[in-house]
Amino acid sequence: MKTTLIAATALASLVSTSAMAETIGVSMARFDDNFLTVLRNGMIETAAEMDDVDLQVEDATSDVAKQLNQIKNFIASGVDAMIVNPVDTSATQAITNAAQSAGVPLVYVNRQPVNVDTLPDNQAFVGSNEVESGTLAAFEACKMLRAQGKSNGAKGYMLMGKLSNQAAVQRSQDVRDIVGISMCNFIDLIDEQSAEWSRNMAQDQMTNWLSSGEDFDVVFSNNDEMAIGAIQAMKASGISMDDVVVTGVDATQDALLSMAAGDLDVTVFQDAAGQGSGALDAALALANGEDVNQKVYIPFKLVTPDNMQSFMDEN
Amino acid sequence: MAEATHGTGGLKYDHSKRKRPQEFNVLIALVLIVATFEILGQVLPYMEGQSLLFDTGDRFDTIFNEARLRIIILQVAIVGIIALGVTQVIITGGIDLSSGSVVGFTAMVAMSFAQVAEVNGMANPRAIFLDQGWVNLPVVVPVAVGLCVGVFAGLINGSLIAYTGIPPFIATLGMMVSARGAASWWTRGQPVSFPTEGYAAIGAGMMPVVWFLLLAVLFHIVMRYTVYGKHTYAIGSNIDAARMSGINVKRHLTLVYSIAGMLAAVAAIVLSAKNLTAQAGMGIMYELDAIAMAVIGGVSLQGGRGSIIGTVLGALIFGVIISGFTYLKLDAYYQEMVKGAIIVGAVVLDQWRQRRNADRV
Repeated sequence: MKTTLIAATALASLVSTSAMAETIGVSMARFDDNFLTVLRNGMIETAAEMDDVDLQVEDATSDVAKQLNQIKNFIASGVDAMIVNPVDTSATQAITNAAQSAGVPLVYVNRQPVNVDTLPDNQAFVGSNEVESGTLAAFEACKMLRAQGKSNGAKGYMLMGKLSNQAAVQRSQDVRDIVGISMCNFIDLIDEQSAEWSRNMAQDQMTNWLSSGEDFDVVFSNNDEMAIGAIQAMKASGISMDDVVVTGVDATQDALLSMAAGDLDVTVFQDAAGQGSGALDAALALANGEDVNQKVYIPFKLVTPDNMQSFMDEN
Repeated sequence: MAEATHGTGGLKYDHSKRKRPQEFNVLIALVLIVATFEILGQVLPYMEGQSLLFDTGDRFDTIFNEARLRIIILQVAIVGIIALGVTQVIITGGIDLSSGSVVGFTAMVAMSFAQVAEVNGMANPRAIFLDQGWVNLPVVVPVAVGLCVGVFAGLINGSLIAYTGIPPFIATLGMMVSARGAASWWTRGQPVSFPTEGYAAIGAGMMPVVWFLLLAVLFHIVMRYTVYGKHTYAIGSNIDAARMSGINVKRHLTLVYSIAGMLAAVAAIVLSAKNLTAQAGMGIMYELDAIAMAVIGGVSLQGGRGSIIGTVLGALIFGVIISGFTYLKLDAYYQEMVKGAIIVGAVVLDQWRQRRNADRV
């Protein structure tokens, strides 16, 4: 159903010729990322419900230079506003400058640009505060370990995303910060490795760790896919998932079902569709010359087996 | 052994003239790398005398750390399957940059036909063809569909190269980009998860290794003892001579690329079954890892030289290095840098040895 709807939307936006329509150019960092796909579809579905909004969505394929070219092309074709999900959050000044000199309103979505505090009046940021996600998950894991009576010493591994990615760096730092506070410093990180957000690489990495035979109590993962990979590896080695706390981030469908099966213990919900529609609203408001809040933070929410049911239909 | 015929039909390859087989050098390299890790385990103070391959904690019945031996080969088995096809392509003097993207697209398509209707009593939230009722299908359906996709991609690669004459680099580069696009287009980027038990069994436990080794043995025999293999080497050694001697070069190249596509599809099926999911981003960079395995295993990028055994050993070197890094708890930042250096180092050594051999003649 969803697929049909999206396909229809895409087709509709292709053939739409309404002269009165507002045209919004959207440049996404990448199309093949699960979370960003939900965000993108949230934007497309919101636009489809409006009569007079045309979205032109492009894939920057994680290429900074390509993204800047897409933005210049949007400006050249006279879009009314732009939404940018930056490839590199430290390279956003050039995007801001290009939009500002052309007088085109700009909204950054999901990834916080480095110049967020100095954005011109017709630019804004809609996203979540990345510090929350890793912290929420790690702190919940710490509480779970204490509740299991392991506060006199616990060992853990950490699976990190791509190391060139700000979210991976931030979420990993959040975990290190949490195991540094006095309430949680009973947790000892044995090793941390990158599995590049991938379920397959996480599965292999976890199996490598298991082959060293060291006991551990917790696996912190930068996202759900890697957490699921780690769970698959542990189950294949006959480890009971009751004995290990596993954390993820994203609250994907796969992750929630893994939680329902009693495998995944903690994940964090980031409202992808909410960010997408929020960015679209801000872009339309700016295109109409209205004032908007320049920093819109959509909060992360902690997901555990107790409240997971309410997130089932979200991401 | 001097009677054995290799190379083009009719040409006799005299084994006695060869100093020692290429694969032997790769094997020595593998042993040296393992030895290096073992020595580091003894020397580095924080390692507390741990061993890479041997059981130091008395956890296993044998003297080996069996868990480590398993993961060393398990983590390279899937890319290894791709490398078997890439090896054949490189032996013809070509290259295949499309395998990683073909893995992504094939995994998406095959998995779409392998889904269950219900997960934990709920309708499968990821089911693509739920409305059509194409769920809980027998395992043969997704496998057949997947293999067809792979062969089709390979067929396009091969025909483009053979019949339009464009370089393999360009033809397969085009497929690399297009197939990745197709993988995203299939479900608009949404992952495809929750396969049937039958499908999951294809990639469960050590099954990826079983497929890898079975296919390695099969293609070792094919490359060494059949006309197909002889023609493949002949084309890579001297394409004009191969044509003059009556080999249908165009048809043969198309066949080689189709087989490479099929092996990429096998890898995709095993990979998605192992992970219980298919995602558009799957298989990124696999083509380069597969090429690296072949090159480390002594397959020459000039064509005409190399073997399946070499590639299997190349894959094992890869596996030992990955596991060795984790065992040393080497910082993630350094791993890629060292891996790149090892790939280049292997080729430099190979060139150096080839020149030295040439000087001797």
